[in-house]
Amino acid sequence: LCSFSSCSSWLPQRVLLRGSHWQSSLLEFRTSLPVRAQPKKKKKVDVKKEQAQKDRMKKKIKKLEKAAPELIPIEDFITPLKYSESNRVRSLPTLSPEESERRVILLKKWCLFKQKQDEAEKKAIKALVESQQEALKELRLESEELYQAAIRRDEGLLPFERDGPSYTPPLPGYDPPEGKCIDITKVYTQ
Amino acid sequence: DALLGCHRSYRSRPTHGIGKFKYLLPKEAPKKRKEKVQMKEISAGTEYQYGDVNIQMTSYDLCLVEHFAQYVHRLCNRLCIQVNESYAMPTKTNEVLFLEERGSKMQLDAVLTTHQRVIQIRGLSSTFAPILLEVIQSSQPEGVHLLVKQHTEADFKSRLKSRPELEELLAQMS
Repeated sequence: LCSFSSCSSWLPQRVLLRGSHWQSSLLEFRTSLPVRAQPKKKKKVDVKKEQAQKDRMKKKIKKLEKAAPELIPIEDFITPLKYSESNRVRSLPTLSPEESERRVILLKKWCLFKQKQDEAEKKAIKALVESQQEALKELRLESEELYQAAIRRDEGLLPFERDGPSYTPPLPGYDPPEGKCIDITKVYTQ
Repeated sequence: DALLGCHRSYRSRPTHGIGKFKYLLPKEAPKKRKEKVQMKEISAGTEYQYGDVNIQMTSYDLCLVEHFAQYVHRLCNRLCIQVNESYAMPTKTNEVLFLEERGSKMQLDAVLTTHQRVIQIRGLSSTFAPILLEVIQSSQPEGVHLLVKQHTEADFKSRLKSRPELEELLAQMS
């Protein structure tokens, strides 16, 4: 009874043609296909067509793959045309001798400051490396095993992520306005 | 006999090379062949050394991130760390819209461009890596996001243009 209901929705046309018991019509339907010769021809032609299609696709793929992949051009390094087209030139005002003197002295002070900063950094790096080497030496004297384990590279170190520091701490209880971000980056295709 | 007998001593004659003139012309620069963008081999590194490591710096401010990248590059040079490559990733542009206080319309707030610079180093020893990270962190400017990770093929592929036709054909094939 259940097979009757399922088959009735599947092939209503066959019901009209056959009209007899369900079982016999189903068997005939199943056995009729290999008897006819037409499907065999269709298969051959299909196989040839498919082969030809595949060859064409392979040729196309080879052609596309021959072209080397290109890097996406970086917009930072391309000056927009509007800045190179215009002819307007800025004329700087002449500086008074006191002003130029002040600027030179400021520049020298800045150079000195930067030099001190750089030297302090070099000193700090040197101190760090030295103390690390000393610690490793002491560890080696203590136990060889721990030293070997310490020398190995740390898999948990990478990937390392850190946001830059902010000028001010975040405001407590700040309610930002609702909004959304749309990505409008230009997509380059080869 | 005749073959062994002939000694053509033209090279010793004073007329040798009489027709040459190419040495007189100015030297032409060799033809520059477009170098194919090929991925360099990614080294995995040994137990005591990290392989190819990418230091990626991202920020909205272009000058800041450029200067920071220059600083990190010079630092690596000074500390004798081999720098494989130092390149820029394509800029991303974002449109920021916010909902007005009274109203349902989204208003355009700003158009922000995100810039990213990458410095690729190789042969970073396991003992020196935390020191380098400490130094870079201490000089990290405001608004610059730092990311240090291993270099992968996917990172390299993200720099290349996408080829939708090739991908479509490959998907159809398989």
